[in-house]
Amino acid sequence: MKLAVLSESPADEAAIVVLVEAVIGGHFKHVRPGLRARGWPSVAQVLPSIIRHLHFNTDADGLVVVVDSDDSVVHNAEHDAPGYFHPQCRMCRLRAVFRQTTKKFPASHGRSRIFHGVGIAVPAVEAWYLCGCDEQVSESAWVAGQGTGQLPYTRAELKFRVYGTDRPNLQLEIQRAVEEVRRQRHDLRRLENDFPSFAALARDIRGWNKNS
Amino acid sequence: MIASVAFRNFKALRETSLILAPFNLVIGPNGSGKTSLIQAMVQLRALARLPLRELMPDDERHPEGAEITFRFQPPFDGLEASLSCVSESLCDFLQVTPLSTGGGVDDWVGLRARLLSLKSYRFNHEAIASTSALKDGGELAPDGVNLAAVLFTLRNTNPNIFECFKAELLRIQPEYDEITLIEQADHTIALGLRLAEGAEVVPSDNLAQGTLYLLAILALAFDPEPPAIVCIEEIDRGIHPRLLREIRDLLYRLSYPASTGDTRPSVQVVATTHSPYLLDLFRDHPEEVVITEKHGRTAHFTRLSDRADLAALLEDGSLGDLWFSGILGGVPDEQ
Repeated sequence: MKLAVLSESPADEAAIVVLVEAVIGGHFKHVRPGLRARGWPSVAQVLPSIIRHLHFNTDADGLVVVVDSDDSVVHNAEHDAPGYFHPQCRMCRLRAVFRQTTKKFPASHGRSRIFHGVGIAVPAVEAWYLCGCDEQVSESAWVAGQGTGQLPYTRAELKFRVYGTDRPNLQLEIQRAVEEVRRQRHDLRRLENDFPSFAALARDIRGWNKNS
Repeated sequence: MIASVAFRNFKALRETSLILAPFNLVIGPNGSGKTSLIQAMVQLRALARLPLRELMPDDERHPEGAEITFRFQPPFDGLEASLSCVSESLCDFLQVTPLSTGGGVDDWVGLRARLLSLKSYRFNHEAIASTSALKDGGELAPDGVNLAAVLFTLRNTNPNIFECFKAELLRIQPEYDEITLIEQADHTIALGLRLAEGAEVVPSDNLAQGTLYLLAILALAFDPEPPAIVCIEEIDRGIHPRLLREIRDLLYRLSYPASTGDTRPSVQVVATTHSPYLLDLFRDHPEEVVITEKHGRTAHFTRLSDRADLAALLEDGSLGDLWFSGILGGVPDEQ
């Protein structure tokens, strides 16, 4: 299987590769050069072009996109209702980009479309890294905090808990990211339970085999 | 180190002030005072070399003359240094006065020593690429002209630090696997990088401009005796946007040494840029970004973190895009 990963930093990408391989139960080949976006607005802007490029110009089987939710609306079961679209939910928006972009694509490189998986790290990917180490950190805790206006932690606090500094260099980010996801890769049930927006990504990926 | 600087009638900086952080990224249009800020700091260093003059009598002052006033972080927060100027741009009089509060009022000698170590850089790739005399291997020159000699000296005097420098370079530029520094018959040092594939050594005058700038910035970041203050113009120059994160990390190594486990004192950094991609990397630390605004012939400074609506703006745009759009200010006037 050949996959492309679109993320916000090389550290995120390193962690996502480990998690995706844990879900599919094996290694995958990477599309080179690696894809990168400059934060949320940039992901939404470049994604149609990236999908088009991967579909027509490469032999990639799939694309995995993972972004931070930041302070946006968190995806929930209501959003999965047929025809529902929440404009402030990044999962809804990215899925819509995939739908709209690939709607009229002809087959290319022997496949009708490339698979896609979308993950939203709530509120930031560092929350995934802390799963199983910090009981306070979960998607439900964040959503509850959004509801009451009293967030349980800030993104800066999550970063500090993971890296031990609020200004980690890239090497430290990659090292800590890979350490934490390797700790979790043998059993993803906790991560899927505590972070439904990761579980959605895992479901997308597991669905590829059924749909291939 | 420097806590704040206030300008009056200095070039385009007619009446503005700036509180300086350990790290400061200055953005803004051409002619808006970015370089003037650095020039003022360099002039403070230049005048600090000279004996202090007595207080200037009021009748000798130019009431409309330029004035630049510096205040300092502890332990020198009880001192104020003022540059008085004979013209809009030429300041030749330094006056140091004690404040009513703060420490270090009797320690101008200590403050002076820190100020004299201030370094200002505007790297030039052609200068960096040149061979340099072995005897010039002390402090890195403002344009980087003696880089080869500086690295040669570093390798001989601080081999452990040199190895860290090399490891960082080869990690960022994995197409190379060795640095070559060769003393030639005329006692100049020739710098080269060896290609990992084929082992060919690329001489410095054949290296990419961005690689040369990266080498110079790395040399600063791994300086075993760094200055108290470093000013760097156009820090993004020649660097691929994806490598700007490495540049930011190297500068943070200077300003926040504890973040990389280093125990040496913090270096105050003032860097200028026109790169929206570099600016993107300061989303989590807007307090480190200074925007220079120019209206007509008058310029002033603002801190990005002073924008009350910044968090809301960032929900739908990257910092770099927001800056380019004009809504953060710091863009050229248009007809």
